[in-house]
Amino acid sequence: MKLNTVHLQINDETTPVNVEPHWSLAFVLREKVGLTGTKTGCEMGTCGSCTVLLDQKPIFSCLKMAVDAEGHEIQTIEGLERANGAELHPLQESFIEHHGMQCGFCTPGFILAAKALLDANPDPSEQEVREAIGGHLCRCGTYVRIVRSILDAAERARAKIGMEVAENG
Amino acid sequence: MEYFSPDNLDEAYRLLAQYGEDAVPIAGSSFFMGHREDLFDEVQVVINIKRLGLSYIELDDGGLTIGATTTLNEIFFSELCRQGAFRVFSETVAELHINEVKNVATIGGEVCIAGEVDMPVTLLAYDANVVIGGANGSRTMSMADFHRGYLNNALEIGEMVIEVQMPRPLVATGGGFAKFERTAADLPIVNVAVRIALDTDGTCKEARVAVGAATVTGVPRRSVSAEAALTGRQLDDQAIAEAAEASNDIECIDDFRATGELRSLWVRCGVEDALKRAVARAQAGE
Repeated sequence: MKLNTVHLQINDETTPVNVEPHWSLAFVLREKVGLTGTKTGCEMGTCGSCTVLLDQKPIFSCLKMAVDAEGHEIQTIEGLERANGAELHPLQESFIEHHGMQCGFCTPGFILAAKALLDANPDPSEQEVREAIGGHLCRCGTYVRIVRSILDAAERARAKIGMEVAENG
Repeated sequence: MEYFSPDNLDEAYRLLAQYGEDAVPIAGSSFFMGHREDLFDEVQVVINIKRLGLSYIELDDGGLTIGATTTLNEIFFSELCRQGAFRVFSETVAELHINEVKNVATIGGEVCIAGEVDMPVTLLAYDANVVIGGANGSRTMSMADFHRGYLNNALEIGEMVIEVQMPRPLVATGGGFAKFERTAADLPIVNVAVRIALDTDGTCKEARVAVGAATVTGVPRRSVSAEAALTGRQLDDQAIAEAAEASNDIECIDDFRATGELRSLWVRCGVEDALKRAVARAQAGE
């Protein structure tokens, strides 16, 4: 067994991990780093549960070799919480309010895909939202509420930015 | 399994030659990791080729060149692939509705996989040449010569795909892409790409009709009959319908996704659909 030491930049912290080349980033995040917010469903790039952001772009962490993630900024669902301190991210707020889930297994993946969308496009159309979550499955079938949650989160985020601009003159 | 991440082409070729059939070059890793059950026992050495500077899209007088490790989303967002006759490249990517895959999957990977994916059919319609690099220099071959079957191609030990080149289309060229799949995120059941160039009198000067995903060989194929039905003619609805009918010279595969019969029907529909778009664009002088 040949282990490679990689220094993964996860949620703004550098974490050294010994990995085998074929270990997926999803496996390493969950089993070696202990960040179990990233879910593994199909482990073959079909379900979207394992989505994380790599340099702000959504990727399936089950299809990414952990050894190849070195040098990139990885953000998991846990990072969303940390980045906002005690406050929830607008996406988390609106997923709770609109109940954009049933069992919740797919939710971290949906939220990160939506975050990447909103960061790039703060005012997406419904079609753009649906396009952004095209690779995600919700086996409970709550897509309508998920789309509603994301559109509402976009509105919340825009309102918040508007308020900050007004406060700062 | 051993892992290497060379930072220059010579080193990559050396590693590929040294480990031979035990080694695979990897860029996006989505296919490799997605087929782990079949591949992990076979592969002893993984060579990461993402640091070799093979991510680029360039347009010059000769045509369009795309480096092997360019991701599908880089193609999608590239201005060069969004205008004129090459806009079909961006449209082809748009038909895969999985953003997470488009952020990592590369054109070189799709060229080597050949079946199950969309880009090779568009490359075939645009007369793409595959540039293969190796320690003894590079060689160039057409897509048709490159593909030997599903996951089977002309690469020799110590070689890898480094770029694809498309000649600059003639004036008054239009392209079109059409695809049938079960869901937005599923693999294609049929995909079709066409390219039409018109003469000054409005007749068809050059036609390419390429069909993928449905073929029995597992690699995209050109419909010679459909192309013959178009060349030299005024491209009205009648001519397009006849060309679509003629595309049944492509023998379609029966599998769990669809029967050969259904695929043949969809090939016809896809060819007609893509041709209508292509002809309208060529006539608009794009």
